[in-house]
Amino acid sequence: MGPALRVGLIALSAALAIGLSAIATALAQSRIGAAMAGAIAERPELVGSAIILVAIPETMVILGFVVAFLITALKTVTK
Amino acid sequence: MIEKMAKVEILGLKDIALDAIDVIHDLGTLHIEDLTERISTMETKRVTRMEMDPKFADHEATLNNLRAKVGDMIRELQPDVETMAQEDIATEYKALWSENVEVMISRIEKMLREVETDTRDTVERKADLLVELSRIEKYAPIMAKVQPLAERVARMQDMASIALIIERKYKAILNYLNEEISKITDGECEIISSDVDDESTAALIVFNRRFLKQVHEFLAVQDVNQVRLPSDLAKKPIDEAVGEVRARIALIPGEVDAIDQKLGAVTGKYSVKLIAGRNAIHDRLEAMDAVPKFAQTDQVFIISGWLPEQYVEPMDKALTDKFGNKVILTVVDIREEHESEETPVALHNNPFTRYFEVLYMLSKYPRYGTVDPTIVFAFFFPILFGMMVGDIGYGIIIMVAGWIVHKKFASKPMINMIGFVLTVGGAWTIFFGIIYLEFFGDWLYNWLGLLNKQGELEKYIVGTKESIFKWPLDRIEGFTFMLAVCLIIGWIHMGIGLIIGMVNGKREGNYKHAMEKGGLFAVLTGAMMIIAKFGMDWWPMWLAYVGVLLVVGGIVLSGIGAGFGGAIEGVVGMGNLFSYARLIAIGLASVIMANVANQILREPPMSGFGGIIIGILMFILLQALNIVIGVFSPSIHSLRLHLVESFGKFFEPAKVRYEPFKKTGGEE
Repeated sequence: MGPALRVGLIALSAALAIGLSAIATALAQSRIGAAMAGAIAERPELVGSAIILVAIPETMVILGFVVAFLITALKTVTK
Repeated sequence: MIEKMAKVEILGLKDIALDAIDVIHDLGTLHIEDLTERISTMETKRVTRMEMDPKFADHEATLNNLRAKVGDMIRELQPDVETMAQEDIATEYKALWSENVEVMISRIEKMLREVETDTRDTVERKADLLVELSRIEKYAPIMAKVQPLAERVARMQDMASIALIIERKYKAILNYLNEEISKITDGECEIISSDVDDESTAALIVFNRRFLKQVHEFLAVQDVNQVRLPSDLAKKPIDEAVGEVRARIALIPGEVDAIDQKLGAVTGKYSVKLIAGRNAIHDRLEAMDAVPKFAQTDQVFIISGWLPEQYVEPMDKALTDKFGNKVILTVVDIREEHESEETPVALHNNPFTRYFEVLYMLSKYPRYGTVDPTIVFAFFFPILFGMMVGDIGYGIIIMVAGWIVHKKFASKPMINMIGFVLTVGGAWTIFFGIIYLEFFGDWLYNWLGLLNKQGELEKYIVGTKESIFKWPLDRIEGFTFMLAVCLIIGWIHMGIGLIIGMVNGKREGNYKHAMEKGGLFAVLTGAMMIIAKFGMDWWPMWLAYVGVLLVVGGIVLSGIGAGFGGAIEGVVGMGNLFSYARLIAIGLASVIMANVANQILREPPMSGFGGIIIGILMFILLQALNIVIGVFSPSIHSLRLHLVESFGKFFEPAKVRYEPFKKTGGEE
């Protein structure tokens, strides 16, 4: 496997790590966000809980970002 | 910390019940327990809910009516409460409160009559003037357009005219009107139109006076607005009417100003009385509303409630001084009645930590008898925030903005608290900014010449590239090290939560609960030991084996403490630890965005003066966006790490907050 292909695959892996986790987070947040918007309309005091609940799925994309960053570090290891 | 509460029962002779309630209301320290439910479960029927004298029920209706009237008057006069002398209001309030309800009502009614007499004519006149102004302002542009046409029509004795105002988008209707009115008038009609503004068009229909009645009848069934002048102007020639309208438009604001000055004088004269009256009515009604929560027998009244222990003696003394042995205060042992769940919670923190009670705007208070975690929040929230943002320039901006908000909104508790929290967060942002040596991104690296030609950090002020501890600590280059630091912080943060959970378990005598939390702590510690070996290679293999033992032992201990759920929680706890990776991830996203903004400024997308301007604009825009994101995102994530990862391990919410029965100083 040539070095260019290797770097390309590393970059693709990193992109998949952040991209797929971002899609998963977006799907989860869209559902939670819609549900919480409805809940807040009925009970405005839930706004604090809403912010926290909407932030919960962000863990996925954050961990995806961390993994992607660690994968890009492989680029230097494999030189 | 959570204030230590005492439960008290106050018994006294029924004929002095209202006086005793007044004393308790004045002290403003007792959180009243509604005895209705307890009374309904009692076997004896001798104890009933306290009922108001029918005479007082009438007073309640009168007071409610007065409250509405005083409120209307305050809205009408709009006194500036902020600038009023609070002592004057307090003196007037005391004068009203010292009277019995009948006298208080008659004094407020008398004051209202006086205010109404002084203001009725002026208020009505002002309203009339404002209506007139808005009406003739509407006419003025229409009349100005129609005037030249009408003047020509006026010279033709046998012709009549009607002015219309039409929305511009429906202007086509004029053709239809022209056709129909031509049929009515046998072709003796003409429609002239002119646009008044962007939305309306004025039109003048000129036709033979013989058909006046028929044309009016036709227009009456059409959906068009005829311009009807005020009655006093309708009969005048249009040019005279236009002149008069212009004169009125010029005069009315002056008349309104004169009335405002008069009203200002009346406001000055009565504002203190009105505000004091409003407050007195509000508090009197509050006191009346509280009565059904108390109990009574044929001879005595019973009041039950909670108050901070330090206030028991002053209340006992106040009641004894006023009523002697006709009223008795007894302290009930909370533990004896197993009422800690129902006990209202009051927090008592030092002035610094108190600002961090803003947390409880999002969450309930901690349950009575458990540990108040406000101090944990006050310590960790700004640190986690600062660690994520970590930039000297951003920190200065956040700190200054937070302090301005804190000072400017001193009278609005929530915004005031948020301002203070941001100020402390800004200070920690500067601290971490110094550690990372970031000033609006990588400017300091450039100015100090620490970067090589590829833009990578090469020189260090302290240590070398190979050192574990070095300064500056570049978040991009030192990502793995920072990840480890984040996990250690997570272990400490969650560990504190678990230790508090153990303390709560011990306080409540629930040792299984304490065992579950201890097991979770062992799992976390074991996981950290394993990560330290396999992730960072920080220590020997045998310590990793100890870590494995701790994880297995911790899961077993959690299982013993809380069953299968406890064992699952042990595994989930390890996942929570990785959640702290956000501390570096969010910060990294922020620093990369700042560097992009800097890069655009250094190497603008196009050459020449235009490129410099675009570079500067992009720099300002991206940095401003980064600061805004840098405030919101780290705040939410720091909050989440507290409420989910750390507090989620021990926090038990209170059912009731301590809300004493006190004079509120009036409704808002």
